[in-house]
Amino acid sequence: MIITNNPCVRDKYENSYRVQYIEGTYRDVLIAVRDNVHIGHALYTHPLMGSLKPNETPYRSVIISDEVRSDPGAESILVIEEAIRVYDHFAGMMRPDRGEHASERIKRDFRNIDLSLLESALDA
Amino acid sequence: MKLELGYIPIRDIQFSSTSKVDGELLYVNKQELIDLLLQDEAIATVEVDIARPGESVRITPVKDVIEPRVKVSGTGGLFPGWCAKVDTVGSGRTNVLKGAAVVTAGKIVGFQEGIIDMTGEGARYTPFSKLSNLVVIIEPKKDLAQHAYEKALRLAGLKAAEYLGKLAIDIEAKEVHTYETLPLIEGVKAYPDLPRVGYVLMLQSQGLLHDTYVYGVDAKQILPTLIGPTELMDGAIISGNCVSACDKNTTYHHLNNPVIEDLFSEHGKTLNFVGVIITNENVFLADKMRSSDRTAQLCEYLSLDGVIISQEGFGNPDTDLIMNCKKIEAKGIKTVIITDEYAGQDGASQSLADADAAANAVVTGGNANEVIHLPAMDRIIGSIDAVDHIAGGWSGSLNPDGTITAELQVITGATNELGFNHLSAR
Repeated sequence: MIITNNPCVRDKYENSYRVQYIEGTYRDVLIAVRDNVHIGHALYTHPLMGSLKPNETPYRSVIISDEVRSDPGAESILVIEEAIRVYDHFAGMMRPDRGEHASERIKRDFRNIDLSLLESALDA
Repeated sequence: MKLELGYIPIRDIQFSSTSKVDGELLYVNKQELIDLLLQDEAIATVEVDIARPGESVRITPVKDVIEPRVKVSGTGGLFPGWCAKVDTVGSGRTNVLKGAAVVTAGKIVGFQEGIIDMTGEGARYTPFSKLSNLVVIIEPKKDLAQHAYEKALRLAGLKAAEYLGKLAIDIEAKEVHTYETLPLIEGVKAYPDLPRVGYVLMLQSQGLLHDTYVYGVDAKQILPTLIGPTELMDGAIISGNCVSACDKNTTYHHLNNPVIEDLFSEHGKTLNFVGVIITNENVFLADKMRSSDRTAQLCEYLSLDGVIISQEGFGNPDTDLIMNCKKIEAKGIKTVIITDEYAGQDGASQSLADADAAANAVVTGGNANEVIHLPAMDRIIGSIDAVDHIAGGWSGSLNPDGTITAELQVITGATNELGFNHLSAR
């Protein structure tokens, strides 16, 4: 299942994967991932994928298991909780022209990069 | 495997009607180079410029930096899988135009990054300010997809470096440096009393603008493997990476990896340099587990006593770094990790996105959030409007008088995680 706030990811994958589309921020995506991981979904992709910092790109897509697992292990929980901590650290350094406040042209590029990182994971 | 690097010092680059190396001068026929690069149908226009140490010049947005080299003898050619066939490189003789570089620039995405200042405060932070740089700026054909533009720019840089390198094929080198790696068993016998040390080189491999290639293969598709250290000196690994300017490894870094250089210089004295393991930094957690498992397994198989691990990039590669460290330490092998930090502008926050008690020996390339002030330059090569949009710039970071206030992460190579830099806290 893909959890994303990137409409390009939703549009490309909603017919081939389960997609939970979040009308919200990068952090809202992380929180949705955390909530799913805590009920037993396994984290498949790293929530901080890419070198774009959480105070730059407003888009995030994360892949988790479709099914709830009886023994998901602690790794997924540790990774998502740490990712939220890192996000909040960077959010304290948010620039006025970044994240949700970026220009539409820059946002388009951020959407493309987020999609392409996911594509290279899924299509590899 | 034995490689001789012949250094031909280059003091300056100048445009001329004939491309040639004459003494310490590199002459370039600009139009001939432009025509060569325009053979790529993805490219609309090519501009070529020169930036010299000490000049009031700012290059931005920088994509890659490449050192011109040429194979004089031995199998294969520079940049196998791209400019040459995939024959194994790393033996024989390679000539190097030391002091010269090709710098590629082009705005692939709106938030593109990377500054090289040739003078002033910024110049102190990038090793490339000390080089005579031939800057290649590529504009793509209209509507070319971003990944195709990235590839065109990447190949243009390699081709330009190959073009310059070939000018040095018959030139006698001023200095010759010899590097040799013995077959495993012979290597063990050569220095039986010295600690056996290996190097784990982590390669950025996450997708568009985050890729590295090994003999032409996308590194996200490799399993960790052994590679001869001299193979890197012939361009077996190239960068397709242009996000996070301060801590990405350019092709120049791969050709001149300082960890490999230092391990060779201590080889037979304080340690026995066994070899290099390359591994990747993928997006899937399962890939991270698999790659770190196999990396640790290779370290054990080589009976290493110690390992140096270098990272590339920040964020999720921190997870790969810590997994590698933990799993290698769990085999009873000591590790030292090389990373950089995003510790906030005051340097007070936790530096990495992951941590473990096993990571008890750490070398840092510096705090990428450190705020720096760059003076105005007389001339810009590339596009300055990128500055407002690069990682570590912020709105108003480009001041009306041409000065820039930004975080260190805007500068190409500033916190490089191979330790390839001039500044230190010593």
